[in-house]
Amino acid sequence: MKAYTQIPPGTRILIGRAARRRRVLERVLCSVFEGWSYEEIVPPIFDYYDVFIKGMGRGLEDQVYRFIDRDGNILALRPEFTSQVAKTAVTRLGSSSKPIRLYYSGEVLRFERPRGGRQREFAQIGIENFGGGQQADIEILLIAVESMQRLGIAEFQINLGSVDFLGGIVDRIELPEDQISKLKSVLNFKDQPGLENLLSSLPLDERRKNILRAIPHLTGGVEVLNEARSLIRNARSVAALDHLEEIHSIFDRLGLARHLTIDLGEVRGFDYYTGILFRAYIPQLGFEVASGGRYDSLAATFGEDLTAVGFSFSLDRLEQVATPQLDVPDSQATTVSGDAAGFERALELRKSGKMVKRCL
Amino acid sequence: MLVVAIAKGRLLELSLELFAKAGIHFADNVQASRKLIFDAKDGNHRIVLVKPSDVSTYVEYGAADAGIAGLDVLMESGADVVQPLGLKFGYCRIAVAAQKGVKSLAGSEPPTVRVATKYPNITMEFFNSRGIPVEIIPLNGSIELAPLVGLADRIVDLVESGQTLKENGLEIVEVIAESSARLIVNRASYQIKRAAVLNFIEAIRQ
Repeated sequence: MKAYTQIPPGTRILIGRAARRRRVLERVLCSVFEGWSYEEIVPPIFDYYDVFIKGMGRGLEDQVYRFIDRDGNILALRPEFTSQVAKTAVTRLGSSSKPIRLYYSGEVLRFERPRGGRQREFAQIGIENFGGGQQADIEILLIAVESMQRLGIAEFQINLGSVDFLGGIVDRIELPEDQISKLKSVLNFKDQPGLENLLSSLPLDERRKNILRAIPHLTGGVEVLNEARSLIRNARSVAALDHLEEIHSIFDRLGLARHLTIDLGEVRGFDYYTGILFRAYIPQLGFEVASGGRYDSLAATFGEDLTAVGFSFSLDRLEQVATPQLDVPDSQATTVSGDAAGFERALELRKSGKMVKRCL
Repeated sequence: MLVVAIAKGRLLELSLELFAKAGIHFADNVQASRKLIFDAKDGNHRIVLVKPSDVSTYVEYGAADAGIAGLDVLMESGADVVQPLGLKFGYCRIAVAAQKGVKSLAGSEPPTVRVATKYPNITMEFFNSRGIPVEIIPLNGSIELAPLVGLADRIVDLVESGQTLKENGLEIVEVIAESSARLIVNRASYQIKRAAVLNFIEAIRQ
């Protein structure tokens, strides 16, 4: 029978080395987060459906596992942490002094086709910073950097963009909603033929079209920011460029600039992002290991206007990275006999913290 | 080393020509050989030969940094990959076709259209977007046969010249999408191997 031999698609069972690796990863990352004064939050694995829909936006509703409880409430298995954490920050922690720094670690569930490195159940570990203003962007980026360094990952790239850059441009071209989402989609895929196709049907002047044409190329080192400056003048985009430049200059000062790349065409992600957004990549891994960004409007949907920024690591993906720090050898246990004397010896060894293994 | 996935056949032939123009040369026997991996003489590029419908999978998972794929493969797989360059070959249309004279996506009877296709995802999405209930009949080849033997009312297939349709008494009812082949790039490779990727894009830009 299937139920006795298989596990549902998109789920995994970790045993032995893989499970140990998961715990080591978790411990390393928690210690980094705690080292930056982030406090752990353990939210429930299910919550009211509306909490997540407010956060993730309607686009992802068909990925949410939902069910109805006996009182008729619609509940959902958490498809992400950020909405729950934001809700808690605004309600239970509303009177706390700001910034509120929280971290979480656990499983999230989404009904997706299990492919492209995605699972239906996957483990996320991440942080959120509420009320920390724009400077918190740099704090969380540095925490992401330290996390990877502590895991022994020497080569990594943080690909940084801002929704405000494109936002400022789109604000000034009056396009219907569906055209804007088409535009975002082709930019997301850096799909040049698709962009040309779309532009030919849009009532925009050549200057505007050239700005949009340039966006997929605005990716690389800090020089990209200057290139972008020569194209736009609107205040929102300029402010986004100023902020990215500030982040870059701090990274430069800290000797970390080689890990940072700018990508002004980076527009993927949940609707709730409002400022920077970023993804971290590691050689030999086809998918990002971390992603995050600013989402200032989310807290307001739960009742209080609070700036917010955060990111999460995918533990399932980090597990595929091999570093000495994550190489977890089998522990050496002292074998004791199975009789009464054996138990006595075992307790003795355990008192001194040694690992024991009883033989039959 | 930049790994590029390509399907054997016409796209491979045209891709190799394009690479050669860009100064990226491979052994002469790539087409004839049964090997699946070839390194360029410059030592910086490698091609892996895969099934057409697998190109986007290799690239999405990062097993290949880049690939040359037809629009049909990209649309059907829905792969999350960067598509930075359109190529001037491999032009094709994905179209709904039916027996001559039918001319509509759906008749009044029966209420559900039976569509034979190699592209269940594209078909489902297209008919859903028109609000037409559809039953998909998945086939792997000779799709044109399905309406002739009463297996399906319509087909969704790749149309190049239209000759095969014509010879089987079928005609296009509506074109779903048309495009030439594309260069696709893994999202992580696009960042991690940025210089190599951008150089490659510029080198093969037509």
